[in-house]
Amino acid sequence: MSRLLSTGQAINEALAIAMETDPDVILLGEDLVGGGTREVEGTDEMGGVLGTTKGLEKRFPGRVLDTPISEMGILGTAVGAAATGLRPVAELMFMDFLGVCLDPLLNQAAKLRYMFGGKARVPLTVRTVCGAGMRAAAQHSQSLYWMTAGIPGLKTVIPSNPAEAKGLLLAAIRDDDPVVFCEAKGVLMQRGEVPEGDFTIAIGRANVVRTGADVTLVGFGATVSVALAAADALAKEGTHAEVIDLRSVAPLDEETILSSLEKTGRLVVVDESTPRCSIASDVAALCVDRGFDFLNAPVRRITAPHSPVPFAAILEDAFRPDAARVIAAVREMG
Amino acid sequence: MPAPISMPKLGMSMQEGRVVAWPIEIGGRVERGETLLVIESEKAEVEIEATASGFLRHVYVPVDETVPCGALLAALTDTPDEPFDADAFRKSNDLPEAPRPASEAAGATRAEPLRDADVQRGPRRPIAPAARARARELGLDAEAVPGSGPGGRVTREDVEAFAARRKGRRPVAPGVALDVPHQGEGDPVLLLPGFGTDVSAFARQAPVLGESFRVLGVNPRGIAVSDAPAEDAYDVATMAADALRCFEGRAHVIGASLGAAAAIELALASPERVRSLVLITPFSTATPRLLAVLDAWIATAREARPATLAAALLPWLFGDATLADPRARERIARGLAEIAARAPVATLERQAAGLRRWSGTRERDLARIEAPTLIVAADADLLVPDAERIARAIPGATLVVAPDAGHAVALEAPELVSEAILAHLRRV
Amino acid sequence: MCPEPIPTGVALSRERLLEAYRTMRRIRSFEEKLQELVLAGKMAGFLHLYVGEEAVATGVCMHLDSRDWVTSTHRGHGHCIAKGVGVAGMMAELFGRATGLCKGKGGSMHIADMDHGMLGANGIVGAGIPLATGAALTAKVKRSGGVGVAFFGDGASNQGQFHESLNMAQNWKLPALYVVENNGWGEFTPTGFVVPVADIAERARSYAMNALIADGMDFFDVFEKAAEAIARARRGDGPTLLECKTYRFSGHYVGDTLAYRSKEEAEHWKQRRDPLERFEHRVVEAGLLSSDALRSADGEVAAQIASAVAAAEAAPLPDPTSVTSDVYVNG
Repeated sequence: MSRLLSTGQAINEALAIAMETDPDVILLGEDLVGGGTREVEGTDEMGGVLGTTKGLEKRFPGRVLDTPISEMGILGTAVGAAATGLRPVAELMFMDFLGVCLDPLLNQAAKLRYMFGGKARVPLTVRTVCGAGMRAAAQHSQSLYWMTAGIPGLKTVIPSNPAEAKGLLLAAIRDDDPVVFCEAKGVLMQRGEVPEGDFTIAIGRANVVRTGADVTLVGFGATVSVALAAADALAKEGTHAEVIDLRSVAPLDEETILSSLEKTGRLVVVDESTPRCSIASDVAALCVDRGFDFLNAPVRRITAPHSPVPFAAILEDAFRPDAARVIAAVREMG
Repeated sequence: MPAPISMPKLGMSMQEGRVVAWPIEIGGRVERGETLLVIESEKAEVEIEATASGFLRHVYVPVDETVPCGALLAALTDTPDEPFDADAFRKSNDLPEAPRPASEAAGATRAEPLRDADVQRGPRRPIAPAARARARELGLDAEAVPGSGPGGRVTREDVEAFAARRKGRRPVAPGVALDVPHQGEGDPVLLLPGFGTDVSAFARQAPVLGESFRVLGVNPRGIAVSDAPAEDAYDVATMAADALRCFEGRAHVIGASLGAAAAIELALASPERVRSLVLITPFSTATPRLLAVLDAWIATAREARPATLAAALLPWLFGDATLADPRARERIARGLAEIAARAPVATLERQAAGLRRWSGTRERDLARIEAPTLIVAADADLLVPDAERIARAIPGATLVVAPDAGHAVALEAPELVSEAILAHLRRV
Repeated sequence: MCPEPIPTGVALSRERLLEAYRTMRRIRSFEEKLQELVLAGKMAGFLHLYVGEEAVATGVCMHLDSRDWVTSTHRGHGHCIAKGVGVAGMMAELFGRATGLCKGKGGSMHIADMDHGMLGANGIVGAGIPLATGAALTAKVKRSGGVGVAFFGDGASNQGQFHESLNMAQNWKLPALYVVENNGWGEFTPTGFVVPVADIAERARSYAMNALIADGMDFFDVFEKAAEAIARARRGDGPTLLECKTYRFSGHYVGDTLAYRSKEEAEHWKQRRDPLERFEHRVVEAGLLSSDALRSADGEVAAQIASAVAAAEAAPLPDPTSVTSDVYVNG
């Protein structure tokens, strides 16, 4: 059975299942409960800035921890807790805030196992909201998954719809390595069919969401729906696009990308982050490096421009990659 | 047991140090923690404390000498007079002689770096990596494959189409097969294209003729998927001989420009096989201007993309009326670029060499042509001014002159040319 | 020097006293051996020695057991030894051998032993503080009775990680102990130049946290104050900031030219405050241990370290292909 849920509701469901099935799972972050429910009658909890943790504190008392606005303290404490036996899910409200708390991820979570010769494990999940689309402007909208994907020792996943969010989050929490779980705003705004019950989606394996023989469109997070929209339009012109949802940007499922490229000879990668050192560039480099002889046309990267995320609606819409640009790129490939 | 004192490595960047002072006399006692020596590293003097007590037995590095980190500086012994062999101690405790990099070893020569001039430059037609790989698999030269992608890019599909076309080629000489696309049924009609072009130069005539005839387009050596044997020149007589092997019985032979020269050769060498002749903008002796344009054609093809070549050729091949119409001009330029892309530079050079050799050799023989002949001339042809003279020289030849058209009249006035040919073939 | 009395609150058996001495001596000898090896060019890397500060790690860790976790700093060998980590594995690690505690992947600044509750030295100043806070959170959630102990220097108390951690730990009443080893120097800068409070312990007041100050050169004082703080943590009464005033006998790192510090200052601490000498004077004077027993402990420690060096030098180097293993648990 599945029901229509928002991505936020799907995440809430995954968190509840994770906490129910494993007493070591705790949540910590800013405003995860929020409000005065514990103190003042007639008030309600916030359940996080986007409501994704609502109701969990009541079900799992003592395991949902409201923290001060101390991102470095949150992540550092979560790393320590993870290394010593808990399975924390820390929330970094917006990915841009990595700027104040990179050390616990970069130098601790990612490296402890390696530095200790394989004798530590850090089963930490960091949930964080990224991406443009909510008019949140430059400091609450950046897509920095390329940064965490570039850090050995971390995994970075980014679901493309509510059902994917549920399955990937459960997999992330149960993974014994630190996983950065990116919630793209474009995906958080979606609703979709979500299966009931407990299920996981393997981390590190891409999903071919549509098959086609003429061109491969690679997307992840919010750009999967962009690629699908482009594929619909291209099909009307007789061009059949294969659409791949990466699901996980680190590790990267190189084989699925390459075998699709081998079939189609043409590839467009759609990434809502900025282009330099991006996942798009990484995929393009992979195609040239390991798939050179498959290329029937140049690999095209459809990304945001090299600029901060703007505020005004017209500017933000211009910033985000859309289906029209994907379609134009495919047409230019001949 | 003697203990070695070595040049310490103080910090990451220190590579060597200078001995500034030995405050203890040789033979003197030093207590652990006391200053044993003073060194200078990176402009700073540093006192080095003894890590063990003992007697300064031997100093290997005197004051003011600079040695690398780790080099043996001195030996400390537990007692002042225990046996001590300074040389043996050095052998077992000093740094080994550093091996010199192989590049500095005597006699070794360094490879000269590749200079830019050594690298083949100049624009090649774009070929997709997948096309190259597929061509490699099929044993084909990707450079010879016409490209259909943006900017004339050769795609994997182009290579496969090229390979499929090669399968239907017709053997004309030992080791030489020609690409002879055909259409229609009926009496054979041979199409012989001009310099640097393939049968698509007759793209507008072939379907019209195909309604009543079996039309055979002969792509000569080095053009499209025809074999390109490495010869100095593709002689006009060879072109004619190749064409002869592309049909059975008698054929109507239609040639344009250099193709018309081949048609003349065919008519002279095997008159029994030629039912009629159509010579489009023919020449018997090339003018200096024609030869100069061929040189420019080759030079441009070598240096530039097909589109650039097409743009450069346009004024030589078309009349003012066409050149005045931007849309027609653009369409024709695009078609010409595609045609040009199918002729490698080596083929152009060989065809030009054959053309030079043939030029002027048949002036007197024109009169021997027996086949009924149609001459199609263009009144704005800058390259071939003597079509009318040839029409007079061939007995019984009829002449049609296209107004306002240039040398590439079959492309520029396609209906007129098609109608003239059909009328001629029906008359025969 | 007139021996000071042993605090009445400290009642330790002869065995425990000998254990404390052996630990301090092991740290001292281990560090001195490293200095020798580095200067002789036999050992590579950035090494920061704990010489002079032995009483702090020893006095705190004597109260810890297998439920407890410590995090450490770039100057971490002493905390490892005090928490019970074996010197053979440590020495092999510092030699970059396959048999090292971390298979040669960590080195001095990341030496760790999860089996002994040693959550790592740390190359990032202040970064161990939230890790210990997390360990304390684990202990609280799992009700293990354990404590999370962070050792860090005066310099780290200027980092945001320190303040964020203390604030959170006090909010949640975590079983944590924050041990600041105030050795007077942050790298090459005197603590007084960069810390505006007289005692770092004062900083606990901002977080309504319990604070104590101990003489970090006196095993007995550290032992007594740590006992109080750790008991409080285990009772569920929350964390403590324990400031231990101590001194770094050697430079910031091995090879430090010490140009920034007066010889007199160092000599004063070495001659008058050496924690091993003070310990010895007091226990011998009180008739608790004999000089002979201590010398015999010295011999045992020296032999142990010599054998650790010999074993490390003879141990195999890591296989170069292992450079990519241990990055992830599952692939």
